[in-house]
Amino acid sequence: MVDVSQHELVPDHVLLDPEEVDEVLAEYDVTRTNLPKIKRTDPALPDEAEVGDVVKIVRNSRTTEEAVVYRLVVS
Amino acid sequence: MTEYDHVTDDIEAVVEATELPARLKDEVYEAIDRKAEETGEVTVEQATDIATGVENRYVETRVDPLDPVGTVSAQSIGEPGTQMTMNTFHYAGVAEIDVTQGLPRLIELVDARKTPDTPMMTVHLEGEYATDRQKAHEVVWSIEATRILALGDVSTNVADMLVRIDLNDDTLLERWPTHSDPSEVAGIIAETIEDSLGVDTRQSGTVVEFGPNEPSYRELLQLVERLREIVFKGIEEIERVVIRKEEIDGDEEFVLYTEGSAFGDALDIEGVDASRTTCNNIHEIYRNLGVEAARETIIDETKNTLEEQGLDDVNVRHLMLVADIMTNNGEIESIGRHGISGSKDSVLARAAFEVTVNHLLDAAIHGEYDELDGVIENVIAGKPISLGTGDVDLRMGSRVVGDD
Repeated sequence: MVDVSQHELVPDHVLLDPEEVDEVLAEYDVTRTNLPKIKRTDPALPDEAEVGDVVKIVRNSRTTEEAVVYRLVVS
Repeated sequence: MTEYDHVTDDIEAVVEATELPARLKDEVYEAIDRKAEETGEVTVEQATDIATGVENRYVETRVDPLDPVGTVSAQSIGEPGTQMTMNTFHYAGVAEIDVTQGLPRLIELVDARKTPDTPMMTVHLEGEYATDRQKAHEVVWSIEATRILALGDVSTNVADMLVRIDLNDDTLLERWPTHSDPSEVAGIIAETIEDSLGVDTRQSGTVVEFGPNEPSYRELLQLVERLREIVFKGIEEIERVVIRKEEIDGDEEFVLYTEGSAFGDALDIEGVDASRTTCNNIHEIYRNLGVEAARETIIDETKNTLEEQGLDDVNVRHLMLVADIMTNNGEIESIGRHGISGSKDSVLARAAFEVTVNHLLDAAIHGEYDELDGVIENVIAGKPISLGTGDVDLRMGSRVVGDD
């Protein structure tokens, strides 16, 4: 099977600890469900990700060097 | 703040007081720290200058509060869209492959069609496959669907109820480079025919013969029809592959362009660089690489479509917004009745878009409520909309200027 994370279209997906999630939610003043979503079955997700987790995605941005976004893992 | 040696409590207080988001604050700390490392010290005044400088730039580049970014994007893509060609087909710049362009392609993208009109892949190769023409051709043959007519001549002998295939030696060896004996390859082909048509074959050298199990004229003709459909090598969906030598980052390498796409299958083929190969079907990208890659592809494809038409001054942020919205819920949603616009909470907003009566009828049957928070609802109701100045309350003090 091909290693999806190696593809240049796929940015890094990193699982966040619960404390980090709280920090993020506090910074943007949003609730978990306000975040963009990502499916549990998404091929780019780390294997250990579970529904309810939040992943941090570091994109190579077109408008700045790096853009950090967060997605909530949903079923 | 322990991470930075030269950031004092005073400097920290200054930076923390700015409106910057946490990530930019960290960068400011880093910059101050680096500067202090070089020059010995950064005073609080200097730090204040740095922090306010960064803050000013940040505030300037922000979208104004209550700015209707979606509407601005819609206009900014829609107006250039009026100048696009309505012609569906013409040959694209690369590799003589027909690609849908212009308005039809843009519509296809925002509609998130399951399969594009003209699916194609750009296959990059790795290692020596990319530099050696012979090796590159090996990959071509394992991608392009090889059917019987490409391999030899088919003739029907009605008198003996036989189909006879005269395979071409050179073609066989060319397409099966790992074999050196044409009759060996003919054996593989005969086996494939037996498996897919359910008939017995006779093979001598590179000639393969077979007939219907029961003598029947109709059966014979049908066998020939079905024989033409069998894919002996390659991927069924790929009709044609064009090989081109291109210069990428100063190096020359072979790149394959395919008519038809089967992204998942192509990535598994030996010699294919699975880190750079792409295709123009956003759903195939989504299935194989995930939602983030799909978002990236939507931006790329819409951007290229606009650029191809000479409309390259559309700001990429508008396209990024479109891609963000389309991938917001973790899968690709189309923009329109069946996607984003159809899933709005407000009944009136949905009714205002398309199929008005159906939406109102459904809403009446289900006893739906409308909170009237959105723009369209308030336009319909004749109230100020909650955007721009419409959502700002003005407060005035009673103090007269010069009163102090």
